[in-house]
Amino acid sequence: MLVRYSVFIVLFVLFILEGTVYQIFAPDQYGFAYTMVPRWVLGVIVFAGILQGRGIGLSYAIVFGILYDIIYSPLLGVYSFGMALAIYLVSVTVPFVQKNMGMTVFLVLAAIVGLEYFVYSIYSLMGLAHMPHNLFLYQRLLPTFVFNGLIFIAAGYFIRKWLLLVNRRKDEII
Amino acid sequence: MPPIFSNKRLIVLLVCIIVLVALIGYSMSERRDMSLPEQLLHDSVGFVQSAFSRPAHLAAGFFETINDMRTVYEENKVLKSHLDDYASLQVELSELRRTNEELESSLGLQESAALNASSLRSARMISRSPDRWNEYIGIDKGARHGIEEDMAVITSKGLIGKVRDVSQLTSTVQLLSDQDRTNRISAFVDGEESIYGFIEGISDETGYLQFTKIDMDAELEEGMTVVTSGLGGVFPSELVIGEIVDYENDEFGLTQQAYVEPSADFNHLNHVMVVEREAPGLEPEIDPEEEDS
Repeated sequence: MLVRYSVFIVLFVLFILEGTVYQIFAPDQYGFAYTMVPRWVLGVIVFAGILQGRGIGLSYAIVFGILYDIIYSPLLGVYSFGMALAIYLVSVTVPFVQKNMGMTVFLVLAAIVGLEYFVYSIYSLMGLAHMPHNLFLYQRLLPTFVFNGLIFIAAGYFIRKWLLLVNRRKDEII
Repeated sequence: MPPIFSNKRLIVLLVCIIVLVALIGYSMSERRDMSLPEQLLHDSVGFVQSAFSRPAHLAAGFFETINDMRTVYEENKVLKSHLDDYASLQVELSELRRTNEELESSLGLQESAALNASSLRSARMISRSPDRWNEYIGIDKGARHGIEEDMAVITSKGLIGKVRDVSQLTSTVQLLSDQDRTNRISAFVDGEESIYGFIEGISDETGYLQFTKIDMDAELEEGMTVVTSGLGGVFPSELVIGEIVDYENDEFGLTQQAYVEPSADFNHLNHVMVVEREAPGLEPEIDPEEEDS
């Protein structure tokens, strides 16, 4: 039973960690010049979307997008739309690519870059972000890309194994 | 290869975009109170967040303590030298206080103390928005604890921001460094004459707060202290914001603009205090003659 809901529980814990524990130990709090945004929830949802199916991925994306919107964002709807769109576009490609590790991490990073750009453009449009594009690219996007890339390369193997285990358990129950 | 969006999906996408635009419009509307589902989510997630952030703060505090221990000896020396001045200052203070009381009573200004009276409520930071587009932090006190919108939030070092949204058990604080256009605080410089202006967000390149709309004739100096003016609603006066480090004419040449180094540290926040002004507001006290001058 716990295994079935473990994906949701893990995503929720990651969601909390992004806003609390990571923010206390974040490098830019200690004078590091680059902003590294943790996108762990989105990454794990991409994994789930690829390994468990598009529908499941989309529903996770919408649920956690709404959570992001209400708790951290001044504009409602930006994250729920952006995350769902990112997951949809990523999982559309799944039948055409191999489901190996490298490809999955690549898709995770593509989704992260897409979401960053989407949020940046909407916020600039609404006058909430005043960052010029080159600054955004070097100060936020690249560090975020590298930071999340390293984390998902390191953790990808375990995430994949765990999700496949969840899939197997599900099949056994049904 | 099939198209990325089939006809049916295209319609779903369009509907989603319309919903998105409607939601953005709804959340951009002026001073909206949080709806019930939002409050419920805020409170329940806030409960989990505080469970996570407490041990993290403890761990961070532990490392900071170790760091502090290395500088304790030098600090102690400096503090001892300050202590020598303390006694003479104490005498001067009591002397000044007595004269002040006498002068105030002779002018009949007894109510001025009540105007500045405020009460503090301590709270803990439990979260911070991870995407850093906005500088919001969540604190673990809400409407149940008497917190209202637009109240000032300070640390022991100075002002950090104002309360933006309140739910029952938690609330969201907008820091001074937030870039939002509506994030504006009335402030003044305590010099020979009072110089009024607005604190409007932080500048990306320098990391200093922008103190804008200052009168062209005002004589600014580096090192002047900027404090809140208390002219707007629930904000109390005389909360320290920071020190002026630089100033210039603004882009239109009509007013001056100064850069203020914030005295509070926006990064290492743990315990914060919400200030409530006890006097309801300045409105009845405003003297029309004073406004004209």
